[in-house]
Amino acid sequence: MTTVLDMRGIQKRFGPVTALDNVDFAVEHGEIHALLGVNGAGKSTLIKILSGLYQADDGQIEIAGQPVSLQSPADAIRAGIASVQQHPELVGDLTGYENIFLGNEARRPGLFRRVEHGAMRAKAQELLKRLPVPIDLDVKVQDLASVEKEIIAVLHALKQENVKVLILDEPTSTLTRVEKEQLFKMMRVLKDVGVAIIYITHRLEEVFEIADRFTVFRGGRNIATMTSEDARQGDVSIPQLMLDDEMGALFPPKATEPAGDVFLSVEGLSLTNAFQDISFEVHKNEIIGFYGLVGSGIDELGKVLFGALRPTAGEIRLKGTPHAFASPADALKAGIFLVPGDRRTEGLVLADDVTFNTTLANHDRASVFGVRRFRQAFRDARDLSGKVDLSPPTLNRPAQAFSGGNQQKIVIAKGLYSQSDIYIFVEPTVGVDVGARATIYRQMRALSKDAAVIVMSSDCDEVFGVADRVTSLYRGRMTQPLSRDITRDEVLSAGLMGTAA
Amino acid sequence: MKILHPRTFILIGLVAVIAVVFQSLTPNYLSLRNLGGMLSAMAISGIVAMGLTFVIVLRKFDLSLAGIASLSAMTLGFALFLYGNLWIAVVACIGVGVICGAINGALVGYGRLPDVVTTIAVGSIAYGMAFVYNGGADFSKNFFSSGIVAMNYTKVLGMKVPILLLLMTAIFTGFLLHMTRYGQAFYAAGENPVATRFSGISVNRMMIAGYALCGALVGLAMLIQISGIGSSRVTAGGQILLPAYTSVYLGAALLGRASIPATIAGSLVMTMLLNGFTLMSVPYYYSDAVVSLVLITAIVLFDPRILIYLKSPRRLVTG
Ligand SMILES: Nc1ncnc2c1ncn2[C@@H]1O[C@H](COP(=O)(O)OP(=O)(O)OP(=O)(O)O)[C@@H](O)[C@H]1O
Ligand SMILES: [Mg+2]
Repeated sequence: MTTVLDMRGIQKRFGPVTALDNVDFAVEHGEIHALLGVNGAGKSTLIKILSGLYQADDGQIEIAGQPVSLQSPADAIRAGIASVQQHPELVGDLTGYENIFLGNEARRPGLFRRVEHGAMRAKAQELLKRLPVPIDLDVKVQDLASVEKEIIAVLHALKQENVKVLILDEPTSTLTRVEKEQLFKMMRVLKDVGVAIIYITHRLEEVFEIADRFTVFRGGRNIATMTSEDARQGDVSIPQLMLDDEMGALFPPKATEPAGDVFLSVEGLSLTNAFQDISFEVHKNEIIGFYGLVGSGIDELGKVLFGALRPTAGEIRLKGTPHAFASPADALKAGIFLVPGDRRTEGLVLADDVTFNTTLANHDRASVFGVRRFRQAFRDARDLSGKVDLSPPTLNRPAQAFSGGNQQKIVIAKGLYSQSDIYIFVEPTVGVDVGARATIYRQMRALSKDAAVIVMSSDCDEVFGVADRVTSLYRGRMTQPLSRDITRDEVLSAGLMGTAA
Repeated sequence: MKILHPRTFILIGLVAVIAVVFQSLTPNYLSLRNLGGMLSAMAISGIVAMGLTFVIVLRKFDLSLAGIASLSAMTLGFALFLYGNLWIAVVACIGVGVICGAINGALVGYGRLPDVVTTIAVGSIAYGMAFVYNGGADFSKNFFSSGIVAMNYTKVLGMKVPILLLLMTAIFTGFLLHMTRYGQAFYAAGENPVATRFSGISVNRMMIAGYALCGALVGLAMLIQISGIGSSRVTAGGQILLPAYTSVYLGAALLGRASIPATIAGSLVMTMLLNGFTLMSVPYYYSDAVVSLVLITAIVLFDPRILIYLKSPRRLVTG
């Protein structure tokens, strides 16, 4: 094995925060190397330095034995580094294939140079053969689901030639099983032709599935590098390495007291092309869970319950009274809060700080006669950031300066601030590390003391682990009524195939 | 709010440099009399700029300012002509601004129309309507008897009325935008309308409120301008667009973000420049060109999208 990438003594600071502290990191030719660590450990920062988006304050980088200086994304591409960032930036009003070839469109030479759409489309289809997932490349990117955007970003990286190192920063956090398997298949093919792959994930089971070796970061330092084989045989606990602490139970105990009054009941709820005939009840002091893949209708169901979309049929009752919400404002007033699935477009005002974001959805609490209570809001935000494990707990930083998982924690804090009767969490722990996930689940359980909580997720273990009663959504229909006596495998197969195994 | 930010020192430095340069060129620049004149000049453009700040915070444009100004001015003259009562005239003049602004906001918000084209259209309609009252001729009847002319030089609380109005507008808009929940909602709605809606805030209502407030302050500025001229004319709003945008963008470039303090700073710097040029008898077409140059520089410095675009054209939308 030869070392294809060798980073030594990498140092990076953002103001007072040391994101990377004297990090050594090396990747071998043709290996899949998982990069692990809690939220804010510095993984994305290292990746951004490698792809020329950030410049290291100190340290050397060698690629295939040659020292390189990566001052810009163009330098990185020239050096053979292809990357998919954690939050890929695409141009919303261009189509899928236009985004894939952005920057090097096929052109006809000559005076009347123009972009050759035909050639681009053909090449894009060829790329799709490497990663066969059903996706319409002629649709504008802004109209695509986040899974599809992720695929576009991956194709964008793959189109590059002479790739020596491919970097994937949490690609599976939004992918569903099918795409994930295609992605893994493609990664193995690339590995076989000698491409080294750096793979970031918070789903630790994936490490043993795909990675040859892994490296754990903690607080901006490289804590350990080992082969997956050694880890398995030596019975190494990855969570313990990441957290530097014994990992407690991921899920809190289920409700012990009987559920209280019915807070929300839904009868025959439908939205054309999304879901049909949904009926259920949720009580105070319980958590219910919906498992469903992307496209199964869970995202839309959450939005309908929150008034962001109008149902085409059916009735929503809150504590017995029927309600028809014209907007999220109505739903909030009635005591419903939605933690939306897409944090960066639906959850956060990225340019503003933590206090601003936390208090935005509950002005009644954050102001008196319209005048903002700055001190009180700051104190509340400080308490909440502690409750969700925000790191660093610096409240006057804009949301966009936080690592991906910590941005999700701000959205959760905003939910906790809202003091609602009914909470709907859609994909609540996307990109959140195991330790913080346990904290968030504990908060949900605490919330359910006075409220009804609904969890909707494409992570079956999450739904099964946190909810008292569960069901799954398959192509817009509930596969069975909410139930306490159902096994994880039944939920899983019902969500994947529509019928309980 | 951090007052002692390094940017504050840059601002103070800039003001000092401008003052020293013009003082050395024209000895009257820092005379009390000229400073008073500067503040009066700043009253009109500053008030308009503070209104425009709300629209810019919403990440929208308002190109109807001039049209609305003409209509407000003529409405003011017509109301004085009919009733001879200053208070009725003030309400009419500001009210027209509110109505035009609310129409802008409704079309851009609920109507989902593009802001630039819509406000150009609303502005030209308003300008056309300004001619309806008197076929384009001036109004000056009842101007002296109603007291509007006296308003320009009367002192209240030791300040000329226009300067007092500038101060009051600054306090009111600054309070609204920076101390209240509505201000927080303006910023949120401009930066991420989807997340704002998901936070229970009606973005469309914020649009109406922002444009209407902008229209109202255009009306107020016209009241001051007309009181200085002594007659209402359809050309009253001809000169307000450029200084307003320059103040907002220059301020945002100086202080890092569009805000009321930033707009006041921008307006101050611009007024100092214009006043200096006037004292040196630079013709207005040259000074306009300089102001435009300042505007473009400010836009490049402030608009992050432009900066990002300059760095790498592909990073526009986040997945
Ligand atoms: N642009 C920035 N400005 C300021 N601080 C930043 C910036 N980007 C990252 N940081 C800080 O650097 C540290 C490392 O962040 P990084 O994004 O690398 O974490 P990560 O390991 O990728 O976490 P996650 O799993 O949540 O994505 C964090 O403390 C973060 O707040
Ligand atoms: Mg990251």
